[in-house]
Amino acid sequence: MSVITLERASLRYGHILGLSPTTFEIKEGGGITGLLGPNGAGKSTLIQMISGLLRPSSGQVLLFDEPPFRNPNVLARIGLVPEGDRFPVGFRADRWLRMMGGLSGLKGIALSASVDSALEIVGMTTRSHLTFSAMSKGMRQRIRLAQALLHSPDLLILDEPFNGLDSEARTALMYMLRNLAKENVRVLVSSHILGEVALLTDQILLFFRGRLLAEGSVIEIRELMDRHPVELRLEADDSKAVAQWAVDYPDLVAIKMETNGAVLSVKNPRDFFQKLQSAVASGQLSIKSLDPLDMNLEAVFQYLTEDHG
Amino acid sequence: MPIYAPTLPPRPSIKPDKSPILVMARFDIVRIFRLKMGRFFGYVYFCVLLVKLVIIYVNYLLNTNPQLGQLKNFADQVMPQPAIFQASLLDSSMLFFLWLQVALVNGALISRDTLYRIRPLVYSHPVSQKDYLSSKALIAFGIPFCVQLPFILLPWLISILVAGSSGPVWVTAPLLLIPAAILNSTIMGSITLGASSLAGSPKASLGWIIGLLLMSSALGGILSGVFENFAWMAISPIALTESWSKILCGVEKTAIPFLPTAIATGIHVCLWLYIAKRRTLPSEAVI
Repeated sequence: MSVITLERASLRYGHILGLSPTTFEIKEGGGITGLLGPNGAGKSTLIQMISGLLRPSSGQVLLFDEPPFRNPNVLARIGLVPEGDRFPVGFRADRWLRMMGGLSGLKGIALSASVDSALEIVGMTTRSHLTFSAMSKGMRQRIRLAQALLHSPDLLILDEPFNGLDSEARTALMYMLRNLAKENVRVLVSSHILGEVALLTDQILLFFRGRLLAEGSVIEIRELMDRHPVELRLEADDSKAVAQWAVDYPDLVAIKMETNGAVLSVKNPRDFFQKLQSAVASGQLSIKSLDPLDMNLEAVFQYLTEDHG
Repeated sequence: MPIYAPTLPPRPSIKPDKSPILVMARFDIVRIFRLKMGRFFGYVYFCVLLVKLVIIYVNYLLNTNPQLGQLKNFADQVMPQPAIFQASLLDSSMLFFLWLQVALVNGALISRDTLYRIRPLVYSHPVSQKDYLSSKALIAFGIPFCVQLPFILLPWLISILVAGSSGPVWVTAPLLLIPAAILNSTIMGSITLGASSLAGSPKASLGWIIGLLLMSSALGGILSGVFENFAWMAISPIALTESWSKILCGVEKTAIPFLPTAIATGIHVCLWLYIAKRRTLPSEAVI
């Protein structure tokens, strides 16, 4: 059985196409799948459809072989962690969790046990009596995760969960998600930062401008980045020395001289960085700074769309 | 900071047939009781109710004490006829404070969820739109009704205590005024729910409600003047709530007749509940 199945599912907001016809399948069993794409790529639209908030304009969305839109059988099996804060300030976290558990049909002893258990999983047992206004962003994120875990979902959906978190909170959240995935919970995480998703999972769905561009592993994405010419600004006192050294590099595509250095366009940047490091370490080349101008996910997406075009 | 991730517990027993309406309604009641303005309205209602009770007691003294005969004659001139007196238990001063209260409290019911973007979370649980709206309506209709109830029942109980069932002619007042209170609550609840669903925050919701009440009263006044017919005041929800108690108590000359009041009430309730329904669709819940 599949956890998520999309068959040419698309969504329109009036005349605007939020998500082009998309087809993919995520099999049952634990694990983490990353939804990767820049802002406006259609990740949140996809999450809204999967979590039963929106009905697809065409095609079919199935969760556990049933359509999720306003379907209590499906909604009882998913946990949603939406982006950003979703709390009434001034309220205590434990009371809020009890209400959310009640909405899932939990009551009495089962509700109390679920709240305690979810708080333990997210490491907030001793701080759940605090009001949301007294909590840090990381603590609120943990409570958001706890509310999604109350009814022990089979599918956990997180929309941009790392936004605004410091590195410690990010690491802690990643650790929690990995443990949940080991417990046979399928975790779906959306993010616009490749590095975050790469630390968490190897399975990625790449979205761009409402289209599913690619489905694969982080390694494959990195290879795409290697194929794509990347612009790097090298700042140095001697621009000519930089240019003389760079022209010997076989994957150099273009060079643009500047007053304090040069902008190089190179393929296979990871290989280039190794050679640059050796040259600087051996004293062959002297540079002040290195600034990758377009070595980000957006550039890869642009490159992919050009390829697909 | 070490984070421990114990093994997930077995899936708890969940009864999906349990209605979440009461869960959300209980949460909203707790939320309302936390508001400081609740105390303010408590004092206001207490004072208004006290004045009404004193009037009844004085009326009783005037009727029973012969030494106050002259005063009684004077009071008879200034005291209203029984139907008006019954209707005045839900008079405009009390209804003014009630409108103010529902604008503040009910206005926040949906708009607060919009402000804190809570609806997607609610709808990601097995909660239907009907459940969500019903829980809000329960509070929106229930608060004004519960506030009006003591204004009807306490004076009535005192009248029974001091004069017996053969005493005041308005001994059956609750039978007339409770339906009026239900109608008033329905008008107040539906309008405040609709306005709350349109607003992005409780403050904006208050603005919507006050603006709506003032604009509709002004429009009603203008149309009444232009067409020289006071029935046009039925456009105003404030005038409607003031009208129902008078109509049901049988006041002979009411400002707005029964038919315009009934039609306008129906239109207001349907329109604002429709708006609230449209604005709380799951697709309106922005992630």
